[in-house]
Order: sequence, then structure tokens, then C-alpha cells
Amino acid sequence: MTKRKRTAALIFGLLTALVLLAFAFPFIWMLLASFKTQSQIMSEGQLLFFKPTTHNYTSVFKEYDFLKYIVNSLIIGLGSTLLALLLGLPAAYAIARHHMHKLSLVILVARIIPGITFLIPWFILFSKIHLVDTYTALILSHMLVGLPFIIWIMISFFEALPKEIEEAGLIDGCNHHQVFLRVIMPISGPGVITASLLSFIFSWNNFMFSIILAGDKTKPLPVAVFNFMSYSEINWGALMAAACIITLPVLIIALLAQRYVVSGLAAGAVKG
Amino acid sequence: MNKSRKRWFGGGLTLALAASLLAGCGGNSDNNSASGSNSPSAPAASGSAAAKPFEGKSINLVTANHPWAEAIKPLIPDFEAATGMKVNVESFFEDQLTQKLTVQFTAGSETPDVFMFRPLQEGKLFFKNGWLHPLDEYVNKDPNYDFADISKSAVGTATVDGKIAGIPIITEQEILYYRKDLLQAAGIEVPKTIDELVVAAKKLHDPSKGMYGFVARGQRSPLVTQVSSFLYGEGADFLKDDKATINTPEAVKAFTTYGTLLKDYGPPGVLNMSWPQAFGIFGQGKVAFLTDANSLYKNATDPAKSQVADKVGFAPFPAGSAGSKPYNITSWGLAVNAKSADKEAAWEFIKWATSKEIVLKTQEKGNPGARASVWDNPEGTTGFPPELVAVIKESVKGGVDHDRPTVINVGEARDAVGEIVQKIMTGEKNIQPVADKANEALQAIIDQDKNK
Amino acid sequence: MYTSWFDRNLKWIYVLPAVIFVLVMMLFPILYTVRISFFEWSMSAITPPKWVGFDNYKTLLTQERFWKATGHTISFTLVAMVLEVILGVAIAMLLSRQFRGKNFVKTVFLLPMVATPVAMGLVWLLIYEPTIGAANMLLKSMGLKPLLWLASPNQALSSLIIVDVWQWTPMIALIVMAGLATIPSEPYEAADVDGAGRWRKFVSITLPLLKPTILVAAMLRLIDVLKTFDIIYATTQGGPNLSTETLNIYGYVLGFQYFKLGTASSLLVLFFGLVMGLTLFMIWMRKRMEGQYD
Repeated sequence: MTKRKRTAALIFGLLTALVLLAFAFPFIWMLLASFKTQSQIMSEGQLLFFKPTTHNYTSVFKEYDFLKYIVNSLIIGLGSTLLALLLGLPAAYAIARHHMHKLSLVILVARIIPGITFLIPWFILFSKIHLVDTYTALILSHMLVGLPFIIWIMISFFEALPKEIEEAGLIDGCNHHQVFLRVIMPISGPGVITASLLSFIFSWNNFMFSIILAGDKTKPLPVAVFNFMSYSEINWGALMAAACIITLPVLIIALLAQRYVVSGLAAGAVKG
Repeated sequence: MNKSRKRWFGGGLTLALAASLLAGCGGNSDNNSASGSNSPSAPAASGSAAAKPFEGKSINLVTANHPWAEAIKPLIPDFEAATGMKVNVESFFEDQLTQKLTVQFTAGSETPDVFMFRPLQEGKLFFKNGWLHPLDEYVNKDPNYDFADISKSAVGTATVDGKIAGIPIITEQEILYYRKDLLQAAGIEVPKTIDELVVAAKKLHDPSKGMYGFVARGQRSPLVTQVSSFLYGEGADFLKDDKATINTPEAVKAFTTYGTLLKDYGPPGVLNMSWPQAFGIFGQGKVAFLTDANSLYKNATDPAKSQVADKVGFAPFPAGSAGSKPYNITSWGLAVNAKSADKEAAWEFIKWATSKEIVLKTQEKGNPGARASVWDNPEGTTGFPPELVAVIKESVKGGVDHDRPTVINVGEARDAVGEIVQKIMTGEKNIQPVADKANEALQAIIDQDKNK
Repeated sequence: MYTSWFDRNLKWIYVLPAVIFVLVMMLFPILYTVRISFFEWSMSAITPPKWVGFDNYKTLLTQERFWKATGHTISFTLVAMVLEVILGVAIAMLLSRQFRGKNFVKTVFLLPMVATPVAMGLVWLLIYEPTIGAANMLLKSMGLKPLLWLASPNQALSSLIIVDVWQWTPMIALIVMAGLATIPSEPYEAADVDGAGRWRKFVSITLPLLKPTILVAAMLRLIDVLKTFDIIYATTQGGPNLSTETLNIYGYVLGFQYFKLGTASSLLVLFFGLVMGLTLFMIWMRKRMEGQYD
């Protein structure tokens, strides 16, 4: 019996390790290649053991203005997240408290519609009003991705709040607006963090809107990395270094705030 | 859901962070830097005989991230000093450039005044959309400019509907790159004809040793420009007098030669290769022959990019049954925005940038220009390996002035042509029906042009 | 100082900015797209948009390339979704027991879905590279014949499905794990009394109880796989020989490479219809299977 149990545990352990390796492998591969020279990448003998070089990283920063792209991505990501919170939190609260579920459907539709449907009209509109290649256009477009998520996550969060909290606030002489600002908001930290982390990650990763609406001045990282591939000879080491730089911040967010991100991704789904 | 409710309330320590996030809501200002900063549209005081007729004026120049732009930028202060004009330069990557220009023009923007463009790729579209100012009235104004000195076929490339849409700055021809060492070791002569090339590629092809006979662009759209010289060499073309001609026996033969070379003697994955990948694998020393534009030669001879830098040979494009007919085209030109507020100033810049003196300087930096006098000048060829200069001079002679279907919707036309070659590369045996269908598609694209 | 009017209408004041924003950013583009889909226009300053009625739709619906793209979209979506659901449930079951390092595993699982798709596309390009890629090294080390992966019209779509499965199976797994945590233990205790085996318990207890969760997860994936753009554009851009061109990619090519805004718009209207149709179908399925209205 114990022997059977031990074999079961062993099989279970092996399977888990295998699954883990399968999902982590591309990251390991990316990290290793980013420290290799082109010829090391080409040679099969130097898979795991090689003399690492940081040349790829220095060249990415020296030859391409990566710092600028990082700043662009940060401005767009933070800007769109903060604005989406500003619009999304009160909306989610009202929808949750007053059971305005028809409205939440409108918001949900924004999540279902293919983003590419917006691209041509946005491109024409933003061109006409001289907003292409401005942070405004990028922040507005990225908000359309972040806002539905924020509202969706926060509805389920606010619905889970006990009503007594607000009633206590109202008895204390606050009006509804004050209750929201002074009572509800301060205890909404976990929900807000989850929602804003996801919104930020979506903006950071967004490629489709940025490739059309960004220009030289406002180009965020994904577009920069993509261009990097199209216009140099295929320098795998530098490409992988660039890929590492762009994924690192989101990976750190995911590592530090794992439970928030998981609960956010799961909340929308399990709640349905 | 109890469990998740607990989780929601779990993170008390995060309150501070959340509060600071919220505090940020109200005071958020997005950095709005409007793009269309207009150039001053002050009335032009043209015709004045002052030494600096353009004193106080400024123009906006948009360039591609291209070696030519790198070469011209350090020279601009001289121009500014001589004319009193201020030149604001912005540079973009190729695709971003097209997109940026499209955006500006759609918005009816007065900027940029002068810009780099690819006559064969977007020239027709831009011109027909009314975005380019024709330059015919300017080119012969100043006899010192010597417009006739600029290569006829290069100007032909940049001409739309009989009007000069832009002035050529970069020209290129398709040539054959080969590995001197490999050919020598195998005792093979440099191929002069396509048939010899096929035989030589076959001989040097040894995939078990990681050695491949031939490489060129295999990606659907990029390959079209490089298959064009094969096409002309067989006496074929993409279209003739508004009739698509990519299903003629000559055309099918050319496509088959190119496709079969890549299928039988190309490296794995060639179907996804454009020039960076093709030059990349050639530079790794894994391929014997490569055909592509001469303007990209540094990718093969720069030791930082190529492990076979000192072993690369250049040869004129091999001859087909109708002779050696590589494309000889203007890959980049300078044009004036139709909405530019000061077209005189814009032309003044182009006149300077494409003058004999400046073309000599940019050509010394390795940018093949379009002026015959500069090519005849020994100083004009110092920027290239001597062997390549001989090949270029040879290639220019029989060159054809386009390397892709000359229609408005180039992108769609390239995809139609590219399909034939890709089908051959994936082993399709019965290619005539494929060519017939592609020909129909190309004809439809040509017919659309007539309505515009 | 707040008036009572403000307080009475607070819910509208709260909701309206967000709703107006979404409507302006969404409704305007949709209506504009529908309008443009009846015109022919290449953004020309000289030639205004020309009314062509349903011509753009006719062009598309009689075009092989459009139907191929539709086929790629549907097969990519269905295969990826089914694989992700099966693998996701399997992995969730595997990891359902408590063990040391479970949190670490969960964290690793997060990485594929939060990592920037474009960057991951580049990484997979390197992995799939026929001569130096890890994929072929693995095949060779197992004594198998190397493949061309993204460079072959026959393998490219499957290769991209693998990438999507890698990226998104973890999401299904995490959702199912969350769902597992809500399943009460009583049915299992009862089954133990009956002497039911593991597989039996899984099929007759776990699966039925998980069904709503799995359906929602599958629906979310369906919506998102249909819209996959980044990974495809960053790796093959629809090639080789259009073998990975989905409706999303074809729409992009029509609009921003061919500048055929009318045809592109009509494609987007059709694509939009497909996404909405499939989503409604899934919602209907779910309701039918649950036999209740939420």
C-alpha cells in the first residue's frame, strides 16, 4: 500500500515537473539565448553551458532607444489604467448597487468585439484631428481594453461587500457620494489592485492598437520590438534580450502580485 | 464563493497603495503632444535677389531610417548656412514611414514639406491620391542642376502618368552574390546564365553538411521584386499595356526556375525568408549563391554581420533566354507634399540634395545614386568594393525600370504574383492553372486602376 | 455641498461617464465601419468614397481567400479551444491536491498569459526555427524527423495552435482550480462509501459540478482565440502562402496594406457577425445545458 502510494507520488511529481517545464521552457530559452552570441545560438553544442555575454543588452540600449520606448509604455499603461479606474470604479459601484445589469452587458460587449473593428475608424478619425502619434490617442484606445475589465472585476467585488458597511456610513451622516469615497473606496484596495494590475498588463502588452496609432514619438515597447525584428538582420541574441526587457516588468508584477492576478483572471470567469 | 470573498478582504497592507492610485485619478494629465506642428505659412518672398533668399524660412523633412538619411544629415547645416533656411528632420522605419505619411496626407497636413518615398511601392497611390506635387515645372529651371544627368530609367521609375512624382536618390539593381572560396574549391566558373546557375547550385548543394546551393527571398510579397529579374530575363513582364501577363509560358518558366531553385537547393524555412533572413543565412556561410539587390551588399561584406565577409563575390545577374535583364530602379526618391505651404523652399532643398556635389558625397558613403556623372567620377565609386562597381556599371546597361507590377495597389498585386512562386516552392506540379488564376487577380487590380 | 438632486441621480452620474466613453469609442467606430463597408475608398484626397452598395460583400463572399481565412479562423479557434479545455482540466486535476510549492507552480502558470504576446511570438520564432530551433532539436534527440514548423504551409497553423495552447491552457487550469475549490466534499464522501474509483468519481461527480465553470472558461477562450492577432502577426503575418491568414489578419492586410478600406470594413462587419454569433451560440448552449436562467 505504502509502496503504491510512493509510486503514485513519484508519478505525480514527475508529471507536475513535466508540465512545469513545458510552460516555463520558452522563458528559459529566451533568457539563455539573450546571453548568447549569434554563433553560440547557432551551435548545438552550447545549449546550456556557454560563456555568457551581456553584449546583447548593451546593444539594445545603445543602438535602439529602448529607454524611450519603456517610458512610452509606462506613460500609456499608467495613463490608461488611471483614467479607466476613474471612470470604471464609480460605474462598477453603481451597477453593483443598483443592479443595472443591462448596462454591464453594454460594457461586456466591448470585451467581445474584435479590436480590429475599431482600428480603421479610429485611424481615420485620429488622423483627421491630428491625434495619431500622441499619448492621448493611445491612452484612449488602451482604455477601451482596460475599462471593461476594471468594471467587470469591480462589479463582482462590490457585490461581495456587505451592505451593512454602507448603511453604517449613511447613519453617520454621509451622503451616498461620500459613502463611496470615504467608506467604500478605502476598503476596496484588493479589488482595485487586481483590476488595475490587469488593466496595466493589457496596456503594456497591447500591440494591435499601438501599431496603428503610435508613431515615432509615442511608440511603445511591443511595436519597437517588432520593428527591431523587421529591420535588422535576424540577430537572435539581441531580439531575445529585447524580448526579456519587455516581458520582465509584467513577469515581476505577476510574481509579486500572483494572487491578485489569479483572482482577477478567475473572478470574471467563475462568476460568469 | 466564500473563499474568494475572504481573499478580497485579505490584503490590508495594500490599502496605502490603492489610496495613492486613487489620489492619482483626479490629477492625471496625459501628455498630449499634438503631432501636426505646422510650418510657418508666411507668404513667400520669392524672386528676391538677396544672397539668402530663404532667410527665416523653414521646411520639414521626413526620411526613412536609411543610410542615405544618415549621410545627408551632417551636410544639412551647410545648406542651412547657404540658404538661410531651417530644415527640421524626422526619421522613421520603412513601414512606419508609409503609415506616418498616409496619416499626415489624410489629415491634409502641410507637413512634411519634403519626404523620402519608394516610387514603385507607394508612388502611384500617393500621386493618384493627390498627395504629391509634380516636379516637372522645376527640374529644368536651373541649367546647373543638369536634370539630364540623372539616369533615364531611374527617372522613369519615379514618373507617374507622365509627371515627375519625385527625384531619385537611391538606385538599385539585382545582382548575384556568390562564395568565391566555394566556387574555387569546386572548380566552378561564376555562372553567366540562369542555366549555369542552376547547375552550379545543384553541385554545391549538400544539405547533410548544412550547405545549401541557393537562397533568395521566399516570402510571398518580398520575393516578387527579386523574381522580377528572372522574369525579364525570359522576356516576360508582370503586365503589358494594361494586360496582366504573368501566365505566359515565359513568365511561368521564370517563376518555375526561381521557385524550383529555392525548393530544391534552398535552406529549410526559405518560404518564410525575406532579405534579412536570406542575407543572414548567406552570412553564416551556409549558402553558395544569393540573388538580391546590390544596395544591401554590406549585409554580406560587413564582418560584424557576416562570417564570410571576405569571401563574397559579386556578378551581374545571370542571363535568361532573353539576356541578362536585372531591374534597375529607384528604390527611394524625394518628393514634395502637394499641400506644402512653401513649395519653392521644398524644391530648393531637393535641388540641393540631388545636386552633383551632394550626390557625390552621399554616394561616397555607399548610397548608390542616380547621376551618371557621379558614377563616371572615380571619387564617386570609392564607397563600394571595386568588383561591385564593375557589376553595377554592367547591370545598369540592360536594366528594367521596375521590379514589381506598376499599379496603384502594389501590395495586393505583389501578393497575387507571390502566390505562384510560393505554390511552386511548396511542390505544386500543375502550375499553369495557378498562374492563370493569379493573372486574373492581377488583371482585376489593373482594371481597378483605370477607374481612378 | 451636495444637492439632493445630485444624490438622487448619483447612480447615473456614476455610470454615465463610463458608458458614454464606451459608446463613443465603440459605437462610433462600429457605425462608421458599417457605413464604409458600402463604399470604395483608399483615403484619397481627390476621389471621395464611392457608393458601391453590397459590392464589397459580394467580392468577399465569392473570393477563395476570404473563405480560406474564415476556415483558418474557425479551425484555429475550435482546435485551440478544445485542446486548452481538455489539457486545462487535466492539469487542474493533476494539481488539485495539496503539495509543497503549489504557489510556485501557479505563478509559473501565470507567466505565459501575462507575458507580452509579441515578445513571445519572437521567442517561438526562434524555437520553431528549422535549423537552430529547440523544437527540431527535441525531435532529433528523440530520433524523429525534424519539421519545418512555421515555414511550411501545412504545419504553420498547427504550430501557432501550439503557441496558443501554451499561452492559454494555464488560464483554463487556474479557472478550473478555482472552481474545484468550490465543490463541496459530501458527494465524494458518499461515493467513497459506494466504493467508487477515481475515474468514476471524476466522471460522475467532478465533471458535472465543474460543467458551468468549464463552459464559462471555454466561452472566454472562444471569444479571445477568435480575435488572436499579435502572435500570428508577429510570427508569420498570415504566411507562408496565406496558410495562417485568419480573418483578423486579412482584415488588417486589406485595411492597412492594401488601403482598401471599403472591402476591409465589410470583412470586419462579417467577422464581427461571426464573433457575436458564436458568442450568442455559446451563451445559448450554456443556458440550455444548465436548464436555467442566471
